[in-house]
Amino acid sequence: MSLSSSNTIASDASDFIRVDDFSFYYGAKQAIFNVDMAIPANQVTALIGPSGCGKSTLLRNLNRMNDLVEGVHHEGDIRIGGTSLYDPSVEVISLRKRVGMVFQKYNPFAKSIYENVIFSLRVAGRSKKSELDETVERSLRASALWDEVKDRLHDSAFGLSGGQQQRLCIARAIANQPEILLMDEPCAALDPVATLRIEELILKLKEQFTIVIVTHNMEQATRCSDRTAFLYMGKLVEYDRTMQIFENPSKPETEAYISGRFS
Amino acid sequence: MKTPESSPIPDPKRFEVSRATLWFDRFMGWAICFGGIGVILAVFGIFYFIGKEVVPLFRSADVAPAGEVAQGANPAVLGVDEWGEMPFFYDGADKVVFVEVKSGQRRELVVPGLAGLEVTAFAYDTVHRRVAIGLADGRVGSFLVSYERNYTEDGNAPLEPSLVAEPWFQLENGEGPVTAISYGDSGGARVIAAKRGSGEADTVSILRLGMKKGLIGAGKLSLLGQTEISADLPAETTMLRSSQNGAMVLIACANGEVVYFMADAGGVSKRQSFRPFDGKPLRQMNFLFGGVSVVMTGADGSQEQWSLFRPEGEGERLFGETKKFDSLGEGAVLFAASQRNRTFLTGAGRELSIRHSTSGAVRWKGQADIVPVTALLDAKGAHFLIAAANGEVRRYSVHDHHPEAGWKAFFGKVWYEGGSKPVYQWQSTGGTDDFEPKLSLIPLIFGSLKGTAYALIFSIPVALLAAVFSAAYLSPDVKRVVKPTMEIMSSLPSVVLGFLAGLWLAPILEMRVPSVLMLVITLPLTALLAGYLWCRLPIGIRNRFSGGSEWLLVLPMLVLAGYAAWNFGPVLESWIFIYKDPATGKEVADFRLWWPQATGTSYEQRNSLVLGFMMGFAVIPVIFTIAEDALSNVPKNLTAAASALGANRWQVVWTVMLPVASSGIFSALMIGFGRAVGETMIMVMATGNTPLTEWNIFSGMRTLSANIAVELPEAPVGSTHYRTLFLGAVVLFAMTFVMNTIAEVLRQRLRERNKLV
Repeated sequence: MSLSSSNTIASDASDFIRVDDFSFYYGAKQAIFNVDMAIPANQVTALIGPSGCGKSTLLRNLNRMNDLVEGVHHEGDIRIGGTSLYDPSVEVISLRKRVGMVFQKYNPFAKSIYENVIFSLRVAGRSKKSELDETVERSLRASALWDEVKDRLHDSAFGLSGGQQQRLCIARAIANQPEILLMDEPCAALDPVATLRIEELILKLKEQFTIVIVTHNMEQATRCSDRTAFLYMGKLVEYDRTMQIFENPSKPETEAYISGRFS
Repeated sequence: MKTPESSPIPDPKRFEVSRATLWFDRFMGWAICFGGIGVILAVFGIFYFIGKEVVPLFRSADVAPAGEVAQGANPAVLGVDEWGEMPFFYDGADKVVFVEVKSGQRRELVVPGLAGLEVTAFAYDTVHRRVAIGLADGRVGSFLVSYERNYTEDGNAPLEPSLVAEPWFQLENGEGPVTAISYGDSGGARVIAAKRGSGEADTVSILRLGMKKGLIGAGKLSLLGQTEISADLPAETTMLRSSQNGAMVLIACANGEVVYFMADAGGVSKRQSFRPFDGKPLRQMNFLFGGVSVVMTGADGSQEQWSLFRPEGEGERLFGETKKFDSLGEGAVLFAASQRNRTFLTGAGRELSIRHSTSGAVRWKGQADIVPVTALLDAKGAHFLIAAANGEVRRYSVHDHHPEAGWKAFFGKVWYEGGSKPVYQWQSTGGTDDFEPKLSLIPLIFGSLKGTAYALIFSIPVALLAAVFSAAYLSPDVKRVVKPTMEIMSSLPSVVLGFLAGLWLAPILEMRVPSVLMLVITLPLTALLAGYLWCRLPIGIRNRFSGGSEWLLVLPMLVLAGYAAWNFGPVLESWIFIYKDPATGKEVADFRLWWPQATGTSYEQRNSLVLGFMMGFAVIPVIFTIAEDALSNVPKNLTAAASALGANRWQVVWTVMLPVASSGIFSALMIGFGRAVGETMIMVMATGNTPLTEWNIFSGMRTLSANIAVELPEAPVGSTHYRTLFLGAVVLFAMTFVMNTIAEVLRQRLRERNKLV
């Protein structure tokens, strides 16, 4: 409840999400080591790094999805708009309404397209028909799906292609107008054409949302992100503007990774 | 890299599969095939076996001619030995004629002490093979016909008939010869009804006989008293019938009225007079086996059964019409009652039929090639004989193993002897040989449904809520302990549960019904209250108990509330459940007495409450385990997506988990249902096994499965009872089969609707 949108406006736009000396443990195993980074608002920040480097873990901490995992704990802090996520007064459900998420594998519910989009409104107890209709159209337009599905909004979501389902999931994530959109390898299960569409969408969405995206795809990072963080073995190796990282990395590990010497 | 020139050309053999692998593959193929077909054959084998036991129940009687003899004289009395081999004839002379069916050999035996006496009336009682005779001088007496089988060395076993005379008794009232007689014998008490004279001036007397016991020997048959009853008879007497219980006499009069007399230690009294065919004269009237039912045939051939029963609101057992049979049509009426069950042979003219009184069914129908004047069923029920006026006798063999079976007997309402209306009743065996089996499966089917319903009412809410709690709320640490514990619970032997239910739980619950009621109300309310209080707690405290450990807070509250409710029960009882003794006006606080008084239904110690409680231990783990698996197997990416969209745990359960897991949960319910329907030991030990048809929670039931378990050991193999138990098994199977089929169709639909991708 304390995380209302009013106190976020006051915060500095370049310091919207603040990861502060953050370490994270799955049981005894440490997955993230003392990461410090500031993620600016209305930009796309890409997290790259080899498999198991902790980038997904870091992403999933931004809306505390890792709470669902058994035996985890953390050190340090993450703040969004100046408020700590781990403040005892934070209601996780409110936090997640503020921080939307798109998963690696598209996962629409066994409901109609319409019901999928308004799921977050339904669980928030809003049921005014006009508001729901409007949300569906706005969200589907924002995720560039409206023209393709407007005639079959009440058909099952499983009738859509993989790329469409992923865009539906994006529409679902932005329906309740979160401030931040987390994307965990959103194109990993898609073909190149669908990938391209999602990337175009990301560029469009950053006008409204602060986007953090995890990707394995270097080109994707260069194409659609403003900033890139390279994580390796749970440590933040380098974090800079995307151009800087890819054209002139300052750390040898970064260079080795982006030039494909390991993955 | 290039292959070096020197490397050898690969041997094609290395791509071949080894012989051993091929053989093993083939062998396993056959073994699996054998196993699979074996299972299918075994299932069909079971069906075949059960079918073989059940099908004969629905066969009608087989009747075939089995010999004939000609005697040459009027067969006024026709009797036969128990094997139906050597019929005898008596026509009022001083000798009895025996004729062997197989050889046609004829023998005559002189009735001892009858030489020179004029026999004016006689009647035959097939049960004791007794010929009762009345003389012109007003004496009544009887002789018994008996057969002995003598086993000879050449392997033959010829029958040796003999006659034994019984004492004479002089009728004190009336004038003239005895014109009709009837003899009823129960072994101890006996009764003779005799008529003297004819027309309006006839005199009817009832003689009560008894065995006077001496110090040595079997005792002497002596007259206890004789009563003239002519004053109670409205018109000329046409038929006298004495019941085999040696106490009842029915007298049919010319005006169509039948008068019922009772002869007991206190004397003879008129009990009832009734007019079966609206006052039209009767053509025939005979007691059935057992002596409490009479079959009467009216002038137009219509046939009715009248039985003794206590009409509602009456204190005395009186005759009332209980059944109508198919009309016989024109002609002289034949009647022969079986001596082992409620079958009788009847007919008019050449038309014969074998009927069964319980279900009113016609077992066999046929036509004789002679016009019979008398008929007889032998003691084993394996033959019947008919004789024409010219002395020709036909013997028929009868194969009717299950006359009391049939669709009506199993599934219809039947008016049993002694009952005041048609009912569904199960009572397969009785204390006496002349007991009428009551084989309605309806009370058992009802019992199975009632037992299942109460078991499921108790189990489903607990099991499903527990499954949801475990799958969606409980922290994994606790879940790791809870789930295996529940699985162990499902392996508890049901005989142990039944034992606990019957001997431990039932007595406790009996004393504490109000406490149980309080628990049922208090515990859910406490849980709801706890939930409300939880919401009022500040977020800081709630966050400390997140991740499924809230139960630590709720548990003490529930324990406290349960303890309080349990102890408040007796207080509640003393406030509300006050029984007032109608005799003394004294008031006692006792639920067990209060319930029957307040609701008019019974209270039994072994009741549906105990059953539901204990069946919970058998059914809850089954439903819980499967439902929990179904809920836990809901893809994590769906629950995660819902959580990430801001759904709380209940919303995740309700909107995502339950729809996806619905088909699995449905399966869980069906398997729980199957367990409850087929459960036997708990039902046997905890339900009292009374075949009732009422939903009262404080009474028991008798289920199909428990019935089979209890009665199969005492049912003679191949008997109607035995086969009926198998029929119960078929019904049980059909019930679960139908339920499962419906459930499977529904489950497929659910699955189709909520299928993923």
